[in-house]
Amino acid sequence: MRQVHALVGLALLGLPLGAAAQGPDTSWDPQAGPLATATPAAGTLVAVTNATIMTATRGTIPRGTILIRNGRIAAVGADVTIPAGARIIDAEGKYVTPGIVDAHSHSATEGGVNEGSQSSTAMVRIEDVLRQETMGLYREIAGGVTTLNILHGSANAIGGQSATVKIRWGLPVDSMQMAGAPPGIKFALGENVRRTNRAPQPGQERRYPFTRMGQEEFLRERFTRAREYEAEWTAYEAAVKARKRGEPEPIPPRRDLELDALREVLNGTRLVHAHSYRSDEIAMLVDLAREFGFRVASFQHVLEGYKVANELAAAGSGASTFADNWAYKMEAWDAIPHNAALMAERGIRVSINSDSDERARRLYQEAAKAMRYGGATEEEALRMITLNPAWQLGVDDRIGSIDVGKDADLVIFSGHPFAPGSRVEKTLIDGRVFFDRDQAPTLEHRMQQERNRRRPVPTTSDDSGAQS
Amino acid sequence: MTMHPLRGALATAALLALLPPAVFAQTPGPVIAIRDATIVPVTAPRIARGTVLIRGSQIAAVGADVAIPAGATVIDGTGLTVYPGMIDSGTQLGLVEIASVPGSTDTEELGTFNPHNDALTAVNPHSELIPVDRVNGITTVITSAGGGLISGTAALIDLAGWTGAEMAVRPRAGMVVTWPRSGGRGGFGGGGGGRGQQGDAAERVSRQVRELHEYFAEARSYARQKESATAQGTTLPRTDLPFEAMIPVLRGELPVIVNADEAGQIRGALALADSFQIQVIIRGGNEAWRLADTLAARRIPVIVGPLTRVPADDDPYDMIYANPGVLAKAGVVIAFQTDDAADARNLPFHAGLATAYGLDPEQALAALTINPARIWGVDQELGSIEAGKVANLIVTTGDPLDVRTALRHLFIRGTPVELTDRHTKLYEQFRARPKINEQ
Repeated sequence: MRQVHALVGLALLGLPLGAAAQGPDTSWDPQAGPLATATPAAGTLVAVTNATIMTATRGTIPRGTILIRNGRIAAVGADVTIPAGARIIDAEGKYVTPGIVDAHSHSATEGGVNEGSQSSTAMVRIEDVLRQETMGLYREIAGGVTTLNILHGSANAIGGQSATVKIRWGLPVDSMQMAGAPPGIKFALGENVRRTNRAPQPGQERRYPFTRMGQEEFLRERFTRAREYEAEWTAYEAAVKARKRGEPEPIPPRRDLELDALREVLNGTRLVHAHSYRSDEIAMLVDLAREFGFRVASFQHVLEGYKVANELAAAGSGASTFADNWAYKMEAWDAIPHNAALMAERGIRVSINSDSDERARRLYQEAAKAMRYGGATEEEALRMITLNPAWQLGVDDRIGSIDVGKDADLVIFSGHPFAPGSRVEKTLIDGRVFFDRDQAPTLEHRMQQERNRRRPVPTTSDDSGAQS
Repeated sequence: MTMHPLRGALATAALLALLPPAVFAQTPGPVIAIRDATIVPVTAPRIARGTVLIRGSQIAAVGADVAIPAGATVIDGTGLTVYPGMIDSGTQLGLVEIASVPGSTDTEELGTFNPHNDALTAVNPHSELIPVDRVNGITTVITSAGGGLISGTAALIDLAGWTGAEMAVRPRAGMVVTWPRSGGRGGFGGGGGGRGQQGDAAERVSRQVRELHEYFAEARSYARQKESATAQGTTLPRTDLPFEAMIPVLRGELPVIVNADEAGQIRGALALADSFQIQVIIRGGNEAWRLADTLAARRIPVIVGPLTRVPADDDPYDMIYANPGVLAKAGVVIAFQTDDAADARNLPFHAGLATAYGLDPEQALAALTINPARIWGVDQELGSIEAGKVANLIVTTGDPLDVRTALRHLFIRGTPVELTDRHTKLYEQFRARPKINEQ
């Protein structure tokens, strides 16, 4: 991780780093496609001015400035003095929100979303399969998403280690990982783990656990083992400390990569993100986590969370749900679009996630559904795609709102983000403009390109133009 | 912003809601007046403050100065806006309950050519999905099955009625053809095979297109034989039910709904239309922008959507969102579909996304109301607020394309429909659960 941090540091300073060496390129041709996008300059000193600023923590500033210094928010307000030399982004008539945080993504995991060959694959890591050139990432920043919780799928009870990623499009994938973010792990319960919704592959045998009872017992078995493993290490470390000169070196426990991850869960240093649907399985994991002394950071999907909102609130777990998906499988039959607002009403920190490269493009519209169904306030709805998912990922001290000291991850919308007809104009991460519609390859560009191809420039004898 | 149940001044209307969910008699019935509301008739300029008078199943009068007859149930529309009910031009509503539960889905028949299958036959009028879509202002939908190359007829149904027959506006609104596709572009997940597989796909596509043409040709010769047999006062020795179902198509009376996204698929559909002189409606149409001028000149409507798709990696990021605006600007008549059942409630928000990328908001509204009514040949009955039309109406707090807007009243064929569904019931039930400190 330290190495990654160093890379990001360089990137933030705008120092040469792979693709970053190009610097801003004003001659860039949008028709060349997103992969040819110039890596933006470092956000050393940037001012977003005349904007309607939706802070997510302190309401909306009708006409204000956000000053960015070295990638962080240095000042926010109606009266901010802009230092000389700042790059000005005039957001007259536009709305600015914190960068959108998607707490459930599978982007950029080409061919690596499910290990799934056994019921716990706690040792496998999403960061090993990320692909930086995945076009889904570009389309996500074009929808205002700046941070992703990239998770394994739900094929098995313990899917593997997740990655918190900032979509620094154009930088090497290692530079996309959010340095210092707490590590996470994907758990899954219910139908997908039972694998009852798709035809078995030829030769595929059923795999334990096959019921929700089995899922509980499987998890209890792994955590019981992890607890013993933890005790072995504790004993070993104590023995190392207590060893006197001349005594033989204690023998370390046999290293187990799966149990290493679960041990971190027990110690509270690795956050559990648990795919779940029905209220019974949610209640089961709440109880099991209590039994082993850890907190589930977020229940994912949690479509029946509204039925056990009291239990979730008491456990201090977050809930990361869909805005209104339902009826696509049996365990989604009691899903209601009021889920997010109702859980929030009971004191749960709720986020609205995508679980899809498509939905991720319009999470700002999905969030508005929490207002429509269940009457969340505008700021609550905004927090569901910014501050709350940041909290669920353990990074709310760094991202998720427009506050001084936080990373300058911002979205500039053409209008109110919840209004129809509003679209993302610019997306900033660490104060750098990673998406700019003015330079993006749009359908309009493509049509122009095709018109030009159909109507070739007529040849003339006039060579006075120096065009090539 | 929650959906409030009927209340207050609406006591009488609430009583009406206990009546069967649709009224079919064209005879005068209960009279309801929505007064002091903003009215957006769609086919006429907006009325800032006016009255919509409903008599029985029909709109009796619309305007700024409409006399309200004695005995009418009066709804105060102050601060509210009346729009025509919205029409989703592509769903599987009533044919599927829970997508992953095979016993609850009737969306795909076996076989390649099933023109004699009628979607209406399998519509469950009591599907839990229907009220869920309805309370968001969707009053009328096309529902159809997929599967094979010719999947059968689509039905245009109102979202109220005790039986499929009662729901039907047009029991057979179009013949569904799914144009063969190579499968390498658009859609979900990417993937795709190597060169060899693509070659196989191209071969399969051209074979299937040939099969489609052959099927239409055989149906045409059947129709001709039947015609000449009829002219000679005899009958054909054997009745072929699938070919019988094709006769209205070949006469140009029943349009063919061609599910087609890629430009090549759309061109194929146009060629089929030329060969057999049939009416064609393009549905899906992700790449219809490439043919916008042709489609406009040939007056071929395009049902766009769902917009909840991602473009292929080599296509512009905003292609799916911007396509409807390009088509409308070129003069193509567009409507929207969700191509879903559970998600049909989001129909207006698909149109909303399109307005962010170039579709004029008024055209977006037309694409949810009068345009589909024209495409389905029911614009004398539906799609706008005009005297004499069926009273499929929604009364909202504002722009129906805005997610934050709430529905206050809903009328299908003049009858008030309660704004409750499986979801509001579960919401009320669990919202009433005692909180931790109350237990």
